[in-house]
Amino acid sequence: MKNRQRQKDTLFSILIFGSAFAVNLLIQKLFTTQTLVPMIFVFGVFLISLKTHGYCYGITSAIVSVFAVNFAFTYPYYVFDFFVEESILSAVIMLAVAVSTSTLNSRIRDQEKLRAESEKERMRGNLLRAISHDLRTPLTSIYGSSSTLISKYDALPKEQQLKLLGEIQEDSEWLIRMVENLLSVTRIDGAKVEVVKTPTVLDELIDSVLMKFSKKHPNQKVITQIPEEFVDIPMDSLLIEQVLMNLLENAVFHAKGMTELMLSVSLAGDKAVFEVSDNGCGLPEDALQKIFTGSYEKSAAPVDGTRRNMGIGLSVCAAIVKAHGSDITAENRKGGGAVFRFALERGCEDDGQ
Amino acid sequence: MGNNKYKILIVEDEANIRSFIKANLETSDYQVLCAETCALGMMMYASHHPDLIVLDLGLPDRDGMSLIQEVRKTDTVPIIVLSARSNERDKVEALDLGANDYITKPFGTEELLARIRAVLRSHRHSEEKESSPGGKFRLQDLLIDYDTRQVFVGKEEIDLTQTEYNIMVFLSVHAGKVLTYAAIIRAVWGYSDYGSVKKLQVNMKNIRKKMGVTPGEKRYIINELGVGYRMLAEDE
Repeated sequence: MKNRQRQKDTLFSILIFGSAFAVNLLIQKLFTTQTLVPMIFVFGVFLISLKTHGYCYGITSAIVSVFAVNFAFTYPYYVFDFFVEESILSAVIMLAVAVSTSTLNSRIRDQEKLRAESEKERMRGNLLRAISHDLRTPLTSIYGSSSTLISKYDALPKEQQLKLLGEIQEDSEWLIRMVENLLSVTRIDGAKVEVVKTPTVLDELIDSVLMKFSKKHPNQKVITQIPEEFVDIPMDSLLIEQVLMNLLENAVFHAKGMTELMLSVSLAGDKAVFEVSDNGCGLPEDALQKIFTGSYEKSAAPVDGTRRNMGIGLSVCAAIVKAHGSDITAENRKGGGAVFRFALERGCEDDGQ
Repeated sequence: MGNNKYKILIVEDEANIRSFIKANLETSDYQVLCAETCALGMMMYASHHPDLIVLDLGLPDRDGMSLIQEVRKTDTVPIIVLSARSNERDKVEALDLGANDYITKPFGTEELLARIRAVLRSHRHSEEKESSPGGKFRLQDLLIDYDTRQVFVGKEEIDLTQTEYNIMVFLSVHAGKVLTYAAIIRAVWGYSDYGSVKKLQVNMKNIRKKMGVTPGEKRYIINELGVGYRMLAEDE
């Protein structure tokens, strides 16, 4: 990673310096004037300092530029002559440009890093707040129902007992779902930003998701469309499974009036595009932006604290997809309903035959 | 009480989990033994010779893996591992050490019972098969005839390559058991190198295609993502 960047920076520096040199030669030929020469080199040094990482490229290019001006563009031509005062002055100016641009540049980079960090921090905070709030409801109900059962066991008619037990089960299932999501978040947390990716066969991923989904929602049919050929995609399959699961369940819980739920994957260049779409009620316009940040729910949540909270599931999706170096988007379909979309890099194709 | 009941040993340190598994198994007509540590589990195993072990990996005294190792030195008794979700490596390690199946916490009792039934059944079958290879394997409308080396889905014969057929045989002989990528590769190719997992996956894709299986259908072979494959037991 570091090496690659170094290579890129070096290449870039050489390219810019080379172009500056070439432009100068051209100008010298065309206009027979030298006033532009230092300016063009200064511009080159500025560009290099701006685009590369660290000080050394800028400073090196400044020094080399001074030599170049001295060597090729000042009389006597093609001889080094350091006793010209101009060249010392221009060296100082170029160095100053290189150093100040690089300083500014690294400061901006630091700030960007900080911003990304605090953005991540904020997202995590939102998630935690939302989740802890949401854990309380089912726990209260589980605790209450089980206490009631124990203390009033003989007084309660059998169907009442079964009803309470059923509620306990239902709330536990909800808790399980919640904790799965929490686990996913902690999996992508930690020191490393990137997740551990292993090549996963698309067929098998989709199969696995559908099996799990149909176990939980046996009555909901999912229409699938995936490419015919063998496709493997580097990913953390557990996490992507969670994303697809969350998106499908989100449709089941929120897309009112849905009759058709679709999961499709298509290949576009070196990317695999995943789409979960439904023909339900669609998303409110003001939700489209905020839906993945976990902040939407609080303002728009029904007062009864309904547990079918989509905020958490979707912000977990966003976090997972982000950790895979991509983004998730939501939009409304023209014919009604919503579509959620994200793309994953397919990675380089080397076959193991 | 009849003595022909299956004896199941549960090694799990959480009392609540132990108690609900025990209650469930007993009402399903199994005889249940419990141990809360690895050491106790080993002792119970040695003195009672259970027909199946349900093993939690996170035990207070020693890692559950060591119990699998210990048992596998001498015995093929089926072992079902209870594992936490987020760790494929644990699952693969347990399976490679000789566990028959794993079930991810939290699990439903129905699921556990189904796995127990499947593992017990396939264990019985594979013991028979090991002594006399040949005969036929039937699963839903799938039929594998080991003698003529033919595979049918319904009435139709499926034209498999040599490798594909070998994979099918290996999976079917161990139907009900999760087989890791490494185990299948070892059995089918005899060696493994870089890219052999992909080679296996491509073969599996072709097998699925030839049998006309589309994703989401619970037919013949279950994908255990990142772990391996499992052919369904005969009447699962």
